Amino acid sequence: MKNLYYKYYPTAAIILSAIIIWCFFQFWYPYHFFFQEQNQIFLWSRDYITTYTDKSGGLARFVGDFLTQFYYYLFAGATILTVCLLIIACLLYKALINFKVSKPVALLLALFVMALAAICHFSTSYRLSGTISIMGWLILFWVVSIIRKKVLKLSALVCCLLPCYLLFGSPAIAKIQMPDFVIEKDFAVDCEYHFGHYDKVIQLVESQDRWTDQMVFFYNLAQAQRGQLPDHLLRFTPTQLGTFYQIGPETPMLIIRNMNELYWALGDMTFTERAAMMTNVFSHNNRNVRMMQRLAECNYVSGDSLAAEKYLRILDKTFVYARWADNVRQNGKTIYQQKMQMVNRHDTISITDNAHLLMMQLLDANPNNTIALDYILCSTLILKDITNFKRDYDRYCIDTNNPRLKTLYQEALCIWLAGTNAPQQEWEKYIKRGDVFQRFQQYNQQRGNANFKDTYWYYFDKIKAPEI
Amino acid sequence: MKKILSLLTILAMLASCTPTPENVQQSNALPPIYPDYCDVTIPQNIAPLNFLLRADCEAIEVKAGDITINARGNEAVFDIDDWKALLQQSADKSIEVTVSALINGQWTAYKPFTWQVVSDKVDPYLTYRLIEPDYEIWNNVQIQQRCVENFDVNAIGHYEKLENRCMNCHTFANQNPQLSMMYVRGPGGGAILNKNGMLSKLNIPGSVYFGFSHTGRYITFSTQKIIPAFHSDPSKRLEVYDSESNVCVADMQEHRIFTSPLLSDSLKFETFPTFSPDGKYIYYCAADSVSLPRDIKQLQYSLVRIAFDEKTGTIGTQVDTLYHQRSVCHPRVSPDGKYILFTVADYGTFPIWHPEADLQMLNLQTGKIDTLGIVNSAKSDTYHSWSSNSRWFVFASKRDDGLYGKPYFCYIDKHGKAHKPFCLPQAHPLFYDNNLKSFNAPELGKGKVPFDVDDVAKAMKKESVNFK
Repeated sequence: MKNLYYKYYPTAAIILSAIIIWCFFQFWYPYHFFFQEQNQIFLWSRDYITTYTDKSGGLARFVGDFLTQFYYYLFAGATILTVCLLIIACLLYKALINFKVSKPVALLLALFVMALAAICHFSTSYRLSGTISIMGWLILFWVVSIIRKKVLKLSALVCCLLPCYLLFGSPAIAKIQMPDFVIEKDFAVDCEYHFGHYDKVIQLVESQDRWTDQMVFFYNLAQAQRGQLPDHLLRFTPTQLGTFYQIGPETPMLIIRNMNELYWALGDMTFTERAAMMTNVFSHNNRNVRMMQRLAECNYVSGDSLAAEKYLRILDKTFVYARWADNVRQNGKTIYQQKMQMVNRHDTISITDNAHLLMMQLLDANPNNTIALDYILCSTLILKDITNFKRDYDRYCIDTNNPRLKTLYQEALCIWLAGTNAPQQEWEKYIKRGDVFQRFQQYNQQRGNANFKDTYWYYFDKIKAPEI
Repeated sequence: MKKILSLLTILAMLASCTPTPENVQQSNALPPIYPDYCDVTIPQNIAPLNFLLRADCEAIEVKAGDITINARGNEAVFDIDDWKALLQQSADKSIEVTVSALINGQWTAYKPFTWQVVSDKVDPYLTYRLIEPDYEIWNNVQIQQRCVENFDVNAIGHYEKLENRCMNCHTFANQNPQLSMMYVRGPGGGAILNKNGMLSKLNIPGSVYFGFSHTGRYITFSTQKIIPAFHSDPSKRLEVYDSESNVCVADMQEHRIFTSPLLSDSLKFETFPTFSPDGKYIYYCAADSVSLPRDIKQLQYSLVRIAFDEKTGTIGTQVDTLYHQRSVCHPRVSPDGKYILFTVADYGTFPIWHPEADLQMLNLQTGKIDTLGIVNSAKSDTYHSWSSNSRWFVFASKRDDGLYGKPYFCYIDKHGKAHKPFCLPQAHPLFYDNNLKSFNAPELGKGKVPFDVDDVAKAMKKESVNFK
């Protein structure tokens, strides 16, 4: 029994470590994999594959990028990484044993390297190719270890150094860091939103004790998709709509990508395309599969079939998205019917990506664009800009005879009506909700009372508006 | 030995498995090949016109002169030696090309087409910038030089060596690789002048578009404030205009800059200057200033010229208008002085995003305009450069997808007739499908530049030569 234990404990220890690593990445860190998969693209095309020969480490990058594309699938990310780490540990352990290192030391070293390589993957910028590179060098180390004659050993090492460098490059180690669970949550909401799981986004954000701009941004976007942005705008303060961002040379890639989601939701195809191209520019090798899909979609929606086909052809060469591309070709008209009706065909020219102006253009072209309507009204309310809120509300709700009787808007209108000493008939024209009017009267008797925390009046009086 | 024989046998069997046409069905349609090389005129020194068939075919057979290609799949890739021999024996003759494809188990022979081979050679080197088509934000920009006689490419400006800066506009004097200039932007940047391989950094304030005089002593350049703007109609995308622009001349010998009130009129926009090959004129584009961006559609540039005396370095006193319909951009005079080629768009100064932008050619001897119907497409055709023998020009066309510019070569025969252009061939026919960068500002040169990216990086560290 003792012999058996002595024989198998290294294997058991390595397998146990692998299981722990798999569980950690699968259950606590899965969205990091999805983020990496979404921000690269791998094409199964000879022309594309030959680009891996441009620099040293081509094989490591090729294998790494090839495997990363499968992170798209549930369980694949953690499994691929764990298998790679398992191979690394086994190779190192076997090689050290062959070099007559004692079992405990060999095991400790193997587990150490395995853990180190796993820790590298806490960083979003560390790619699988780094781990493959380590694996490549360990293969050489192991091959050398199994050669018995010293001269042959040395010759093999000398002969293989250059090919190994050319194939696997220098093994890269990421800066050691703790797992970043905040970014993991950011990625989670982003990912779930991408898949259209709006309820999950809402549930994920609402279940947090702390929330980031990214979480609140997607929370609002998810609520807007359900037509409930004004009902939940004040749920988190400070809130984040994304409408005050402007894209410039210093804008981080994640913000540009978020802007792409916002423009797409609003229905502005010019800016959707621009943000998608810019996200591509700052992605790994200037390519990003999610943006490739978006570019195909937005060109399909705006009727530029040649441009859409350019991106669909690229997606045809992926293992994961080829079916998606086919589906767009065959059913695009049905899938994007609603978006296509929203496309702005009135041409105006502007020198800014000021979202207010863009949303006005969208609403002028299509007053039924509820998402743009909610975003434009909510944006002015966040800034406490009641005058412009009233102007936009008149223009897109009153003049079009399409009043949007959301509590938030009714509350804001109360402020405007009270502030301008509006006559009774004006109150009757705008305030259609008796409960809001009643509560407004109550609030005025106890302004700033925390019992009214859920109202716009409380926000208006007590919360600092964002500076833009 | 046995193993080698077995391997050879397997390879031979695999090769023999490539299907060859049998029971061929004739089609009256031209083959749907990409790039479109049907009935094009090509120079004797061009690289193989590799192409693919846009069809889901199992095998392809291509017969071009003595060459027969039988391949699985849809790609026709020529052996470069066979190709060169074919073009050598076909100078000033036509090559008939027949394409047959095996689709759903049935061989179809498409209508044959021809390649008209001319002995007038195109300048062998093409320089261009590779950049995402948005141009606003860049990352990983390169300026490359490609030998069009084969597939050799080398970078002369590379982001890795130049701190990821923006680079643009590499222009030769008289297509001479010994005298050229390019810009590297950003702090500490400047114009990198190449004089017989000796690089220097010049500080020419505000210089954007430029051209050398035939002696190389002067350059004429435009200074402008460039404003990007956005169309709300997604099919129009981006607009770029100048809020002010003037034309100047720099004396490269005395390092001084001068202009004339006629070239820097505050009520006009002057841009795109270029010297005539004899150095006696500066051709440029001029427009009356309008309120921008509001009246952008009234911004119409005319093609004009002003005399220049190279001996004394003096600018003339009269501006002649040569063409003033729609908006003219990028005038370039052929090296023999016979023609001037320019782009015409509906309005503005950035034809690269104007699908209606077309090339036109003015015969400077007869004053006749050729609208180049065979050359232009439904998408943007612009930014052209002549070959030193005036028989060829290259231009950037977005005809395939409306987004990504590709270099097309057009032959002008001795009667001044333009022939159907063809796209720069690539080693792999899928290259353009997978490529996500525009070939920006293609320029032809008679030879390879005598410097590389390291020399440019060294020149960037030098003190700038200032201009008075």
